[in-house]
Amino acid sequence: MMESLAISLVDALPVLSGVPLWTITLLVMVMVAAVVLTFALTYSGLATYVERKVAGDIQARVGPNRVGPVGILQFLADGIKLLLKEDIIPAKADRFLFVLAPYLVFIGSFAAFVVVPFGVGLIASDLNIGIYYLMAITSLVVVGVMLAGWSSNNKWALLGGMRAAAQIVSYEIPVGMALLPAVLIAGSLSLQDIVRSQGGLFGIFGWNLFHNPFTFLSFFLYYVAALAETNRTPFDIPEAESELVSGYHVEYSGIRFAFFFLAEYGDMFVVSALATACFLGGWHVPFLDAEALPALWGNLLSLGVFLGKTLSLVVLMMWIRWTLPRLRVDQLMRMAWKYLVPLTFVNLLGVSLWLLLFHGEGIPRMIASLFG
Amino acid sequence: MKARAEALPTQEMLINMGPQHPSTHGVLRVILRTDGEVVVNARPDVGYLHRALEKIGERVTYAQYMPFTDRLDYLAAMNCNAAWAWTVEKLAGIEVPERAEYIRVIVSELNRIASHLIAFGSFTADMGAFTPFLYAIRERERINDLFEDICGNRLTYNYVRIGGVSADLPDRFLEKTKEFLDYFEPKVPEYNNLISYNKIFVHRLANVAAVTPEDAVGYGLTGPNLRGSGVPFDLRKNEPYSVYPEFDFDVCVGTGERGTLGDCFDRYMVRINEMKESVRIVRQAIEQIPEGPVMAKVPRMFKPPVGEVYFRAENPRGETGIYLISDGTVNPYRLKIRAPSFVTMGIFEKITKGLMIADVVAVIGSFDIILPEIDR
Amino acid sequence: MGLKDYLYDIWEAVATTAKGMRITARYGVDPRETITLQYPEERWEPSERFRGFLYNDIKTCTSCTMCVRVCPVDCISLESVRGADKKMVLASYDIDIGRCMYCGLCVEVCPPKSLKHTSGYEKASVDRGELILHFIHEDAGEIKARVAKQVAEAAAKAEAEKAKAESEKAEAEKAEDGEPDSRAAQKDAPPSAQPAAPADAAGNPEDGGAAEKKPGEEKE
Repeated sequence: MMESLAISLVDALPVLSGVPLWTITLLVMVMVAAVVLTFALTYSGLATYVERKVAGDIQARVGPNRVGPVGILQFLADGIKLLLKEDIIPAKADRFLFVLAPYLVFIGSFAAFVVVPFGVGLIASDLNIGIYYLMAITSLVVVGVMLAGWSSNNKWALLGGMRAAAQIVSYEIPVGMALLPAVLIAGSLSLQDIVRSQGGLFGIFGWNLFHNPFTFLSFFLYYVAALAETNRTPFDIPEAESELVSGYHVEYSGIRFAFFFLAEYGDMFVVSALATACFLGGWHVPFLDAEALPALWGNLLSLGVFLGKTLSLVVLMMWIRWTLPRLRVDQLMRMAWKYLVPLTFVNLLGVSLWLLLFHGEGIPRMIASLFG
Repeated sequence: MKARAEALPTQEMLINMGPQHPSTHGVLRVILRTDGEVVVNARPDVGYLHRALEKIGERVTYAQYMPFTDRLDYLAAMNCNAAWAWTVEKLAGIEVPERAEYIRVIVSELNRIASHLIAFGSFTADMGAFTPFLYAIRERERINDLFEDICGNRLTYNYVRIGGVSADLPDRFLEKTKEFLDYFEPKVPEYNNLISYNKIFVHRLANVAAVTPEDAVGYGLTGPNLRGSGVPFDLRKNEPYSVYPEFDFDVCVGTGERGTLGDCFDRYMVRINEMKESVRIVRQAIEQIPEGPVMAKVPRMFKPPVGEVYFRAENPRGETGIYLISDGTVNPYRLKIRAPSFVTMGIFEKITKGLMIADVVAVIGSFDIILPEIDR
Repeated sequence: MGLKDYLYDIWEAVATTAKGMRITARYGVDPRETITLQYPEERWEPSERFRGFLYNDIKTCTSCTMCVRVCPVDCISLESVRGADKKMVLASYDIDIGRCMYCGLCVEVCPPKSLKHTSGYEKASVDRGELILHFIHEDAGEIKARVAKQVAEAAAKAEAEKAKAESEKAEAEKAEDGEPDSRAAQKDAPPSAQPAAPADAAGNPEDGGAAEKKPGEEKE
């Protein structure tokens, strides 16, 4: 895709025809990466602001409202503050690992933005192993968290890191299992293909959510498992503020702490984007065929729809956080292994049987075919 | 499998849940020895907030000591004020006017509601649900507004005096209290819907740190901690003082409804139910309060007779007892305060064996301890 | 655990979570539930009986030292000297509001009710010295010196009057058999000496009163 973009760029600006293609391709890649990264960081900053506002509303108070018009520049103020803080590395900490851990967590979270299908033709890189790549790259977060816990030379951090490792690794199984129905229906791991397979039928009825009862269930299973993947309440044991005094990132200060923080919000977006793409119809605009629309309108409209769906799922995560208490670590593991894993297996079996019996057709399509 | 795990040599971790910790309700230090996540031994280390209140009592006069009782348990300051007043009155045989006693009961019960609100709020915040704390604080602010009208302060009231109360109720106080009670009564079922019966919350607390009734009595637990274990002992019913015999209310006892009898959930529910009972008591007191003076005649330089007395009051955290020895001068000779939270810490080490670290936090919260009382 | 319990567990988890989320959603969308006061634009009006900073009306204060004796933390200190008219004159009156615990015992016992609580509570400062409120603004030493001088003058005057009275008495005794007018003159002399002294002594508290600065920002 980058190559095609590069070629169209050269066509558009003939002055570039003398430069070798691989340079232009590289430039295009860098530009696309910069755009995606900017989006991801801006989103993360604004997500912290929205979280605080949502928390304030739920808690009968006002969130930030002094910095900027409605307090919207709060995240910039926080970012600048964190940048200016003293960089403290504990004396006996394992220096190399201590410095490396935030980067690993950051990469694990933000490298996943590359395969998120933002709209029609708006995807940084439409890998044909989309979901597989996503699962693999988000596992990097586990390594980062464990390194953070270990290298801080602090027992609280160690506890937090070990708990986090156990939690994230255990919940990866239900996450993967719950995404498989969408893959089976689309017949491909590529995210754009999965989104396209939900087209037609007036938008909402094409969604995988309504395809068959098993996919309906798997959306909720996926969402719960994804909450645990991103260490959000009720599964935020690794960073339980009131118990472990911030868990694995207790020794981090300044911009290193900001990396962990931003990575958490980035993870929330990726997970919600995946849920949207696989179950909620992705960028399909209701009542219209997004791919048939004129070029710019199609892109923007589908982008808007996609962001709307994803961000409402993110706000749902915040709503859940401010309502529920947290699970104890053994209850958390019990929930993963005794509830989520069996249910997702049964689910997968159900979807496979359904697809076999009904030749891959969902309920809405069957109803629609009755009416001709 | 278990034998293999025991055969592996693992080291115990010594973790310091230090004086500075978000969940220890003050400057409490707990020295945890854990085997992974499971606690082997949790020893509390108190004394970080010692202010020599008992020694100060020997230096000031009886009336001057009243503001210090505020700071004994600042979340139940009216109760502590009243306990001191009742103690000295018992020693000196002072007859308190009935209106003053009714006023004391009204403010004590309002303060009980406020204290239980904080206990409820901070406990759920420790468990990870940050929202109910804010709702509890909002209710408590309304109680503080009532107290500001009556005495001028919002936390350290210094309202009760030896022989009565310092000033009569201001205009419209009883109306405003009734409005508050009408506002507050539907809130308790709301809290129950929001968090008390939430499956995650129940799971965190059920069957955790169950205290048997025999242990509870043996270790000297009092108040909601004792009643949570099923022992229906309430000083306001069993050894009534002041005008409590005039009121009709139930003693809230733990029933083991979601787990074992005497676990953290029972103690928590006892506090929630006690808030409802306090509302009942205040309503009855507002109906029955007589007119009259609010202060008995007590000499300026008050000298009680020589003797000693022990008086105990039912405070929100348990039984606050004051043992007072007087030698006939204007200063007490010795006063000793039996703080309920201090005695509760006695059972801490026994109860936390075998729990997980997260449960230690639940135990501290469910016992509703407050450090100024422990360290005095 | 049977299948029924298993499914019931799942159902209960979902149901109680949904109930809780409905309550938080209502708070989340209803703007009337927000109860924050935007300080310093919006302020809470303290009640009538609010125990803010202390203020002593020096004109009415009689330096009885009841407040000093009743304070549990000894935050009030005063110095006074006996004036020429036998009334106490305040030389200095300080309250350390950093030590004060706002218990109100001093306000309760003040006999002339000159000590009162104001509704002020905002006096954050960077130096503990700023937290000591001085209610008399002249230097204590100067006041004491002035009063001592007045006392000395009054004493000297009294001495002079007494000496004059005695000498007149002696003259009258000498001219005892003589004129009754001088006796009438003796009777007039002593009373006229009295009014001058109280006027002098009374002048000081008024000076102190005039020089006192009402702590304007505390008395709202």
